[in-house]
Amino acid sequence: MKVLVCVKRVPDTGGGFKLTSDGQRVDTTNMDFTISPHEECAVEEAIRIIEKHGGSSTVLTLGPEQAQEQLREALAKSVNGAILLEAPDYESWDPAATAQAIAEAAKPGGYDILLFGNECADACNYQVGLRVAHWLDIPCVTGIKALEIQGNKAIAKREVKDGWEVYEVSLPAAFTVKEGLNSPRHPSLRGIMGAKKIPIEKKKLNKREPQLVRKMLRKPQEGRGQIEILGQGVEAVPKVVAKLRELGVI
Amino acid sequence: MWDFKGVDYYELDALLTPEQKLIRNTVRQFVNESVLPVIRESFEEGHLPRSLVPEMGKLGLFGANLKEYGAGVDSIAYGLIMQELERGDSGLRSFVSVQSGLVMYPIYTFGSPEHKKRWLPKLASGDAIGCFALTEPGHGSDPGGMESKATKDGNYFILNGNKTWITNGTNADVAVVWAKLDGVVRGFLVEKGTPGFSAVKIEHKLSMRASDTAELYFNNCRVPKENLLPGVEDLRGPLMCLNQARYGIAWGAVGAAMACYEEALNYSKERIQFDKPIGAFQLVQRKLVEMLTEITKAQLLCFRLGQLKDQNRIKHTHISMAKRNNVAMALQIARTARDILGANGITLDYQSIRHMVNLETVYTYEGTHDIHTLILGHDITGLEAFR
Repeated sequence: MKVLVCVKRVPDTGGGFKLTSDGQRVDTTNMDFTISPHEECAVEEAIRIIEKHGGSSTVLTLGPEQAQEQLREALAKSVNGAILLEAPDYESWDPAATAQAIAEAAKPGGYDILLFGNECADACNYQVGLRVAHWLDIPCVTGIKALEIQGNKAIAKREVKDGWEVYEVSLPAAFTVKEGLNSPRHPSLRGIMGAKKIPIEKKKLNKREPQLVRKMLRKPQEGRGQIEILGQGVEAVPKVVAKLRELGVI
Repeated sequence: MWDFKGVDYYELDALLTPEQKLIRNTVRQFVNESVLPVIRESFEEGHLPRSLVPEMGKLGLFGANLKEYGAGVDSIAYGLIMQELERGDSGLRSFVSVQSGLVMYPIYTFGSPEHKKRWLPKLASGDAIGCFALTEPGHGSDPGGMESKATKDGNYFILNGNKTWITNGTNADVAVVWAKLDGVVRGFLVEKGTPGFSAVKIEHKLSMRASDTAELYFNNCRVPKENLLPGVEDLRGPLMCLNQARYGIAWGAVGAAMACYEEALNYSKERIQFDKPIGAFQLVQRKLVEMLTEITKAQLLCFRLGQLKDQNRIKHTHISMAKRNNVAMALQIARTARDILGANGITLDYQSIRHMVNLETVYTYEGTHDIHTLILGHDITGLEAFR
């Protein structure tokens, strides 16, 4: 079994963020970088598939030199190999160009399973996984929260209101996964130190003209929340219910 | 619980290697997910959160800086591990400090090949727990005056004496015990269950409640002669171990201070009095600014200390300065945070008071604040004030 898992280096916005003055991107000065929670689950799933069925896993990213950090994190968790598609100008790569480059890099690998996050944590275009599958002419199930490999087919489940959609696809296939698929492991310290020594395969890319051009980003107004105590114990219940109704939750 | 992002006003993160950052973030996440949800209960009930030990072993937190048997992380990464653990609780950091710096380190450095093979893999995985027995009821700051004695009897040594304030004491599978053999301090490995060896939990602590602290008794305890640590004689042995542990404490104290500062800062922005957040008052702002400044200074001390350690240029007095400064700083910050939290700050619903009472111990153990002052005083004047 050969598994390819694709990740993207994104700013860790957990502590708040600002946009650059031209509104074109997140101001990443002093920011940490990470991969999105969906992709963490994709990495974990790749490792589990190999632990269960044998074979090898490879992590791939299209990004700048520094994106090796994210690749090494996956290697530290015991992904077997890593590919960096070098794109110093990665911010101007749209989903179509990104997907084409990934598909071209993936094709010679002969992967049985391609895993993606359902959407990346910064641009949230929901497109790359699907487009790669299209380029490779393989089936794709998006937004899955369960995956089971049975010989040369896979059963993938997508959560919907009040139930599951269950898909059976033949391999090779692509899947875009959602947080909740599994709980990602922490890398061990030994894994982190060992990952330093694993060579990363680097491929140079030719610049492609984006078809999708971003006009600008706008940060939504931050709500200045106010804490309102509705009461203590049982006496608070009617007020809580009324508030939930007012908010349209129930 | 909010997602802790660290306190990094001077952008020290930019000086860390990707591995150091990943190690720090891994331990930070472990503390968020596994420690913070259980630590309050452990502290309140007065026991070590033992269920965390296997996970810490799996992560590789025990003996992390040892080249063999550990991951061989550098000193800054090791310090960052201690920082994050103590952001959880000083008791948890103490557990790891003792296991790593005071048990694995002496076995690794002074032990025989058999000692290493027998103990280090189990201690690294957390399948075995260790403790370090130096302090005695009558000898704290003055370990050279120890009364514990070993006498040779054929293929055995016979140990007699009492040790106290021993972290991990009742949980330990192996104790590194320091006692005088023919007037010279030597180290012995004493296994749990050895006849004549017993450990009794010290009760009624109001500090370090999530840590196992014990008194150890050796009453004609017969230890096989092979259990003597061959590689060291005199006080140099335990003092080298303490340097390892004190180095970790200097970093750990920063973690506790960061937790308190974060908590106080968040609270000050949410707590409304006189129709505005208390963080809008000048007196509170001053407290927060002083906290942040002291944390930043302590971080810089630690970072440089780590560089010196990795370059083998570190002196024990460098470590004394960082331990002395950072623990006093953290204790003061915990008290100030408790103050900002007002009445809410006296409950365990908030972390600050737990850190505050823990830090009273940290201020005293591994060389009291005053003893480190005298060590530094001696170093700069050449005049010894305590003998």
